[in-house]
Amino acid sequence: MPARSLLLAGADERDLTQLAEYRAIGGYEAAAKAAAMSSDELLAELSAANLRGRGGAGFPMGRKASLIDRASRKPKYLVVNADESEPGAFKDREVIARVPHRLIEGCLIAARAIESTDVFIYIRGEYLAEYEVLERAVDEARAAGLFGDVDVVVHRGAGAYICGEETALLDSLEGRRGQPRPRPPFPPIQGLYTAPTQINNVCTIATVPAIVSMGAAEFAKIGPESAPGTAIFSVSGNVVRPGNYELPLGTPIRTLLEEYGGGVAGGRKLKALIPGGSSVPVLTPDQIDTPLDYDSIQKAGSFFGSASLIVVDDRCCMVQLALRAAKFYMHESCGKCTPCREGTRWLVQILTRIEAGEAELSDLDLLRSVCDRILGRALCALADFAVYPVSSYLTKYGDEFRAHVERRACPFGDASSIAGITAPIDQHLHYPTVEIPA
Amino acid sequence: MTASELVNLTIDGIPVQAPKGTGLVEAAAAAGIEIPVFCYEPRLGPPVGACRMCLCEVKPGPPKPQAACTLTVAEGMEVSTALTSPLAMDAQNSTLEFLLLNHPLDCPVCDKGGECPLQDLTFRFGPGVTRMAFDKRTYEKPIPISPTIALDRERCILCYRCTRFSESVAEDGQLIARNRGAQSTIATFEDEPYRAAFSGNVIELCPVGALTSVQYRFEARPWEIQNVPTVCGHCPVGCNVLATTREGKAKRILSRNHPEVDGGWLCDKGRFAYTHLYAHDRVVDPLRKIGVRRFDELSWDEALDELERLARAADGRVLLALSGSETVEQAYALSKLVRQGFGSNAAVFPEEASSALDAFRLPLSAIHDAQLVVVLGDEPVVERAPVVDLWLKAAARRGTEIVTVGALGSVQRPAGTAAQTARELGDESSELGRRLAEADRAILIWSGPGGHGGVHVAELAGRLGFAAKPGCGAFYLPATPNGRAVAEAWAAAGKGDQTRLDHVGLLLVSGEEAAESPRIRELGARADAVAAISMFADPLRAWVDLVLPGTSYLERDGTFVNLEGRPQRLRRAVIPPAPDELAWIAKLAERFDVELAPYATAVHAELSPLLFEGAPFGALGERAELPPRHPVALPIAAPAPAPAATEHGGPLRLLRYRPLFSGPAVERVPELAFQRPAPEIELSTDDARVRGISPGDTVRVSSNGTSVELRARIEHDLVAGVARAAEEFAGALAGAVEVSRT
Amino acid sequence: MRARYPEGSRSAVLPALRLAQERHGFLSPAALREVADALDLTPGYCHAVASFYDLFHLQPVGRHLVEVCTNLSCALVGAQRVVDAFEQELGVRAGETTADGAVTFRVVECLGGCGYAPVIVVDHRYRHGVRVEDVAGIVGELGAGA
Ligand SMILES: Cc1cc2nc3c(=O)[nH]c(=O)nc-3n(C[C@H](O)[C@H](O)[C@H](O)COP(=O)(O)O)c2cc1C
Ligand code: SF4
Ligand code: FES
Repeated sequence: MPARSLLLAGADERDLTQLAEYRAIGGYEAAAKAAAMSSDELLAELSAANLRGRGGAGFPMGRKASLIDRASRKPKYLVVNADESEPGAFKDREVIARVPHRLIEGCLIAARAIESTDVFIYIRGEYLAEYEVLERAVDEARAAGLFGDVDVVVHRGAGAYICGEETALLDSLEGRRGQPRPRPPFPPIQGLYTAPTQINNVCTIATVPAIVSMGAAEFAKIGPESAPGTAIFSVSGNVVRPGNYELPLGTPIRTLLEEYGGGVAGGRKLKALIPGGSSVPVLTPDQIDTPLDYDSIQKAGSFFGSASLIVVDDRCCMVQLALRAAKFYMHESCGKCTPCREGTRWLVQILTRIEAGEAELSDLDLLRSVCDRILGRALCALADFAVYPVSSYLTKYGDEFRAHVERRACPFGDASSIAGITAPIDQHLHYPTVEIPA
Repeated sequence: MTASELVNLTIDGIPVQAPKGTGLVEAAAAAGIEIPVFCYEPRLGPPVGACRMCLCEVKPGPPKPQAACTLTVAEGMEVSTALTSPLAMDAQNSTLEFLLLNHPLDCPVCDKGGECPLQDLTFRFGPGVTRMAFDKRTYEKPIPISPTIALDRERCILCYRCTRFSESVAEDGQLIARNRGAQSTIATFEDEPYRAAFSGNVIELCPVGALTSVQYRFEARPWEIQNVPTVCGHCPVGCNVLATTREGKAKRILSRNHPEVDGGWLCDKGRFAYTHLYAHDRVVDPLRKIGVRRFDELSWDEALDELERLARAADGRVLLALSGSETVEQAYALSKLVRQGFGSNAAVFPEEASSALDAFRLPLSAIHDAQLVVVLGDEPVVERAPVVDLWLKAAARRGTEIVTVGALGSVQRPAGTAAQTARELGDESSELGRRLAEADRAILIWSGPGGHGGVHVAELAGRLGFAAKPGCGAFYLPATPNGRAVAEAWAAAGKGDQTRLDHVGLLLVSGEEAAESPRIRELGARADAVAAISMFADPLRAWVDLVLPGTSYLERDGTFVNLEGRPQRLRRAVIPPAPDELAWIAKLAERFDVELAPYATAVHAELSPLLFEGAPFGALGERAELPPRHPVALPIAAPAPAPAATEHGGPLRLLRYRPLFSGPAVERVPELAFQRPAPEIELSTDDARVRGISPGDTVRVSSNGTSVELRARIEHDLVAGVARAAEEFAGALAGAVEVSRT
Repeated sequence: MRARYPEGSRSAVLPALRLAQERHGFLSPAALREVADALDLTPGYCHAVASFYDLFHLQPVGRHLVEVCTNLSCALVGAQRVVDAFEQELGVRAGETTADGAVTFRVVECLGGCGYAPVIVVDHRYRHGVRVEDVAGIVGELGAGA
């Protein structure tokens, strides 16, 4: 499948962080075109494009925008989710760093569609260089009079994965601890500052200018009907050429891995494919021909997630990998709801024991049961994200888990590629916590 | 409610009808089905869906259990709770398993044991065994988060009820959750004490034994206690309470939610000050002065002989000083004794009361739903009627416009000009007045100082046409819990006009508040003899000749009428250490040929036709109702307001106030010492600057030849020209004061 | 700072905390009080917020901050060896500060640089594809070492 650039178009040839350069390739023409359209027309166009959210859940962007209560007397807000923190994902960062104006242009169009004049871009705190680029681009565009009555505020996060969850993001943006809110009420009805709010991922919004300029009909022809358009796929792990590749949705994993990523590094054997960032169920090498779109991946038993492929070769101990992933989700659990706060810690404890070769076979049943008891019961999806790696590794690499029990040690000895991997269990230096003993 | 606003749903297969907007938990409860909850508490604001105890199967909806607490009823909804849904049962069981993972299971030594929702729900929905074979989270336990509250973090289930109370009910922002995830803990900033007017409510909100009362710790087990429904006697709100007793002693005070009066909240004075019953100087036997500062105990017979002798010697020149904390029955009995027995028509009251406000009566809860509330006066509401402050906060959060006009108001006025402001608001040219007159739901509140406040606010309400608008009303926040009813009881207990005595033969002081009042002490100095009825001996030394033991509101049967005008029933929770006032008053009355029954019921029967339209004592239910409005003749004649001193640059006008945490009871509760104000004088930013005073400076405050040294505090919300100090630090200062750096 | 957000909102808290941290090095109780005063909040509230986020320090940190990502993608290509090398070179364990107060070293969660792993952050600036051999040079740049 040929590479197709919508999001990153022109970025290899020019420095698109500069307004003049971006304009030179037709930048902000889509915004001008949108300015001549009514919000109803824009909404119709976005809905017709069937652009599905690139933040993970794949909800159609246009449909979400139609839910906004435009008649509300409160201000309407557009919030861009640039909190990208999913292990394996680094696509939003590239968009911001290389084509900030495309994102800003998308904001202006989307804001117009929902009749909003207030846009917030919530960027994760660690992305300092990207923030600087974006802030400069916003200033430049504003100074050039491109904003009309819209204003765009770039708001920096401060280090918390959960703030990528849309309602936690809103709480964080409101100056609180970033913890998810119960839904309903959903953000289009009651979001930021209790006003109707549209929240979208960076790539979702940055795709909007292309839709407006080429028209929804043309756009819908790219990729599969169920999910048109391109995605920037982040490829990482044991691969020859890791990096971001913009391709139409529906591109098979094999193409992405072999053609673009150059295959497994060192010519080693492929062991596992994690197709959507660390939070999604693992796929096995025999599933390498799965097309990368929402429906196909779901049929294969996983999720499109953040379009991030983590490639794992045969030197990796899957119990260690599960433990490392579990520690991440425990560290990032916000602490608001019970199953996640308590369950993620329990998962880590059980996995630690298994990894150390101190578990019984019954502990594998316990692990499975704890996964089942967390799944689908938490306030937000983080808890599910904690479960998916653990339960899917346990299902698909069960022999390895059993081997840890039966041999009373890791079957890899010290040879696992991630042996001894540590994690920041202590959240703050001022409350140092020891490693959790199993 | 019309039929179209009712929706039909089923809960566990049972058809249920409920008004649109009803929470699922409430709808189920109405149908007799319990959906278990921990974090859900509607009084804390919108649901947070944190604990996941309430998971139920709900159709239509996603194929996973839903947090029922976050949902409202909808037409055609099918809800299956743990009773009928294995999925819901498993989900609730899971939640409990997770909650208990790191819980210490130290129920046998936990104060909450036996009245603990976590225990109860575990018994009904929880796992029977633990699969937790790992180290539990441990914390230092328990730690005091204030002298009144202990926190055991190991028991905490992080339902965030306490922090939500602090943040969004009391709005004190002091009790917080810190850290993230499994390491989250409840804390205060830098472990400083949780110092706030309503902190104790978090103890009751906590569904486990994590936040406990220091006073109650290890004092009783739930099966050995009795909970007596009564009413708080510390302020004119009259919050409904349960007094927990064990072996005849008061052990704690809990809220007994009256949704119109207190919404289920108590202030820390009402909750923690009950240990004044066991004060070191509690009077348990009658006392007679025998030396400069010494008392001798008397027998009751001797004491009554003595009081009879003093009364007869006074020959009609008896002055009764009332506290406003007497029950109606007590005040009536005492008044009848003085007026009909001792032959005197002289009494002093703690403050003026006006019956004109009865025309503008509303339940306090009406504040919550008002469009506009105007508070007049110089004292923060929280200091006079604490729970009213919570009503105002709740209203503001809901969108009510609250305007405070006074020395500390959002609209600043010189101190002592509230009556003038009331006049102005009644004037057509006042924009605020016009909006008050136009609103359907507007409320006026007079928040001190006294000065005929009730009449002024009633007059204004009358002018604004509130009498004809059932949604509009007016409140006067009295300084005493039962002042107005006490004055009315006096009036009902005899005939003839109030007289003034040039010479007092016997000053009869009723209650510890009167006994501590400088005004009353001055009268005492000029009286031939002084007798006092009081709980505490120390303040009476040196100036009182005869002391009769007094009782506390927790030891009395009787009636209090709160600031709304709602008669409420006090129930004796504990037996007083001495016979109660009614018993000996009746005996003494006999000697003066006055007929008085020794029981509250009988006294009430006698006074009820005069005060309560004959309503029998037993008619006051546990949740007393507010009597209907009484029309009054309009216009109401309020005295002309005194012009306020408004000189510039000269001396400051002293504003003395009674802090919430003050008074004879609070002073005797060591756990509340940390809540009492510091010896400070509050100055406006301007006045401090002009005088070169910085926060924390020691300043000399003087007037009329007396002076005190206090620490300066700069209060940004204080109007210029005023210096504000708590009664207990203001000494003999009065009127205009000079403030300068030492 | 507050002008960027609607009146009455608390949205300025994160920017204000960041500013205070830049000024004081870490969010000491005094710094938290300062933020609280400026925004009309309680210090407790500011602490509650600050303690939720990883980028705020509630204890003193070194003049330099070195962070190594050890999440999956970095782990798979040798992040732990980089961690070990830093510990060796600095003479401290992850989560600690060198005795001279020069460097605080810690491991962190995914930084969004997975394609250029292992990723480290030195004083808030990313460095990609760091190898064990690079560590000594980086420590040298910071003027610290065991
Ligand atoms: C724990 C968690 C973390 C998430 N992190 C991100 C993120 O970093 N970026 C993002 O765009 N969406 C993230 N999401 C998804 C958002 O909640 C939301 O669905 C998305 O921003 C919607 O945008 P979209 O419709 O354009 O995809 C996360 C969700 C969860 C549950
Ligand atoms: S699932 Fe985890 S992150 Fe999400 S609300 Fe619950 S505790 Fe917070
Ligand atoms: S009661 Fe519903 S989640 Fe706590």
